[in-house]
Amino acid sequence: MSTDSSQPPAPWSQVLLHAVSDLRILAEAGDKGLEGALREDLQRLLQAATTLEHQVADTANDSHHDQMNSLAAIRGYAEMLQEDLGTDSGSLGDSLTRLLQAVDTAHNDSATAPAPAPQQRNIASEPGFILAVDDLQENRELVARYLSRSGHLVVTAASGEEALRTLADTDVDVVLLDLMMPDMDGREVLRRIKENPEWRATPVIVISGSQDMDGIIACIEAGADDYLFKPFNPVLLQARIKAGIERKRWHDREEQYRQQLERNEKFIRATFGRYLSDEIVTEILERPEGLELGGDLREVTIMMSDIRGFTTLSEQLGPQQVVAMLNRYLGTMTEIIMAHNGTIDEFIGDAILTVFGAPQRRNDDADRAVRCALAMQAAMDGINADNRAAGLPELSTGIALNTGSVIAGNIGSERRSKYGFVGHPMNVTSRIEDHCQGGEILISESTVKKLSGHYTLGERRDLSIRGIEQSVTVQRIEEARHD
Amino acid sequence: MTDRGPVVLLVEDNELNCEMLTRRLTRAGFKVITAADGAQALALMASARPALVLMDMNLPVMDGWTACRRAREDEQLRDIPIIALTAHAMDADRRSALAAGCDDYATKPIDFPELLAKIRRMTAS
Repeated sequence: MSTDSSQPPAPWSQVLLHAVSDLRILAEAGDKGLEGALREDLQRLLQAATTLEHQVADTANDSHHDQMNSLAAIRGYAEMLQEDLGTDSGSLGDSLTRLLQAVDTAHNDSATAPAPAPQQRNIASEPGFILAVDDLQENRELVARYLSRSGHLVVTAASGEEALRTLADTDVDVVLLDLMMPDMDGREVLRRIKENPEWRATPVIVISGSQDMDGIIACIEAGADDYLFKPFNPVLLQARIKAGIERKRWHDREEQYRQQLERNEKFIRATFGRYLSDEIVTEILERPEGLELGGDLREVTIMMSDIRGFTTLSEQLGPQQVVAMLNRYLGTMTEIIMAHNGTIDEFIGDAILTVFGAPQRRNDDADRAVRCALAMQAAMDGINADNRAAGLPELSTGIALNTGSVIAGNIGSERRSKYGFVGHPMNVTSRIEDHCQGGEILISESTVKKLSGHYTLGERRDLSIRGIEQSVTVQRIEEARHD
Repeated sequence: MTDRGPVVLLVEDNELNCEMLTRRLTRAGFKVITAADGAQALALMASARPALVLMDMNLPVMDGWTACRRAREDEQLRDIPIIALTAHAMDADRRSALAAGCDDYATKPIDFPELLAKIRRMTAS
């Protein structure tokens, strides 16, 4: 970006350029007399002088820094030439002496030229990582200097493409973006920053060379956080950078907090997701106080299912067939159990132990358990059709339901624990299941008492259970009655 | 040219000046390696272990002040002397160069004999 005001050439430049043209005429005349290194140094000197001439002529683009660099090169080569020429320097030596005097004058003049006003105020700010994007080197240097002095780390980019590359590589706190650049202009860079989810939160301060308020408004609508007009006040620049860094830090903290929450949620989903339906996990996440992970005595309905004669069956099949058949069966059953919000406690071979009512208690735990069992039996037709198609034997399963108080909680050692259940009713369920025929659902009296839906029940049977004195009364469930 | 001379790392983005100084330093018996920005300079300081660094302060990518501060924070690079090449004869520039951890400074256009004396003193050990 060039400043609008063009300045008259500095007074020293006339003397200097005169000395240069003097030297050039001499060089052309006496070129052949010079040997290798000398000739080369003289060529380089003249090359530097040409660069300086262009810089001085280009008054619209007054770069003090570039001119100083050219002066330095001229001086260096002139001094080297003098050293090499020694005392026997002749007219070339005289010309070099005049040139060096002119360089000195130029240097002194420019040194006494008005320096930028000293900083009146220093804005204390947390140091930040600033990306300054400008196609003009002197502007980048200026910004880098201002901001480095206040302790910021500054990286610069000379084009929009370079800026985007830097953003991809580093974690930038604030972007200082010149709007007028060739190729990819500032507006395009801004658009790309704001459409990238990873960069979106990085504050962008746009810099406009003209007082183009409409352009600035468009940028702010496009997501720019702040703006500056050139030439900008260093104190204002620092104040805006400070605000930008604070905004970024605030966002970073928020992001960290969000990630922490996400990790917690992931942990809970990973811990329970295999046993619980998404619905229950979500319920736990939304109301974590409802979940007591410590040992907790609670009334649950327990469901145990088992494939009849599976052990015998598996002996007749190859191991791969057994696993394929089992996985298909368990997969289907798991889906049904999840759909009824049952908690799968464990798979024991072909048996599935499921609990309704923990970790989340619901009023229809027993009813859901019964509907789940009916759905599981109904699904057997489909499973068997698949088995027949695959040349595998048909399966039949027995399901037992029982309701009672168990201890629910994280059970195990410190290294390995799982949410599980212990208690006598678990064993009783397993014993009832032993009495089930293929395709049968047996439900204990304690569960029947909890049902609020209507079902067609079979005759009451008393089962004598090993380990308990009293017999257990069970009934066969035929179907749900929709009345 | 000699390979025995101390290695000086010249960090200067202006080609004219870089070429000129390289030539002068080589003539004075130094082995010169160059970098065009602060980041390159830090990398070369670590890999080439120069005896001394001449660092322009206004550099692209990473400026000289930042590069100096980083070098001073780095245990491996801390001991390599750095002479700042400042563009202006302004006190503020010199002070900020010294504050950033430069051992000395030279103002452009450089008084070469004076600079040479400084370099020789610092690389004497």
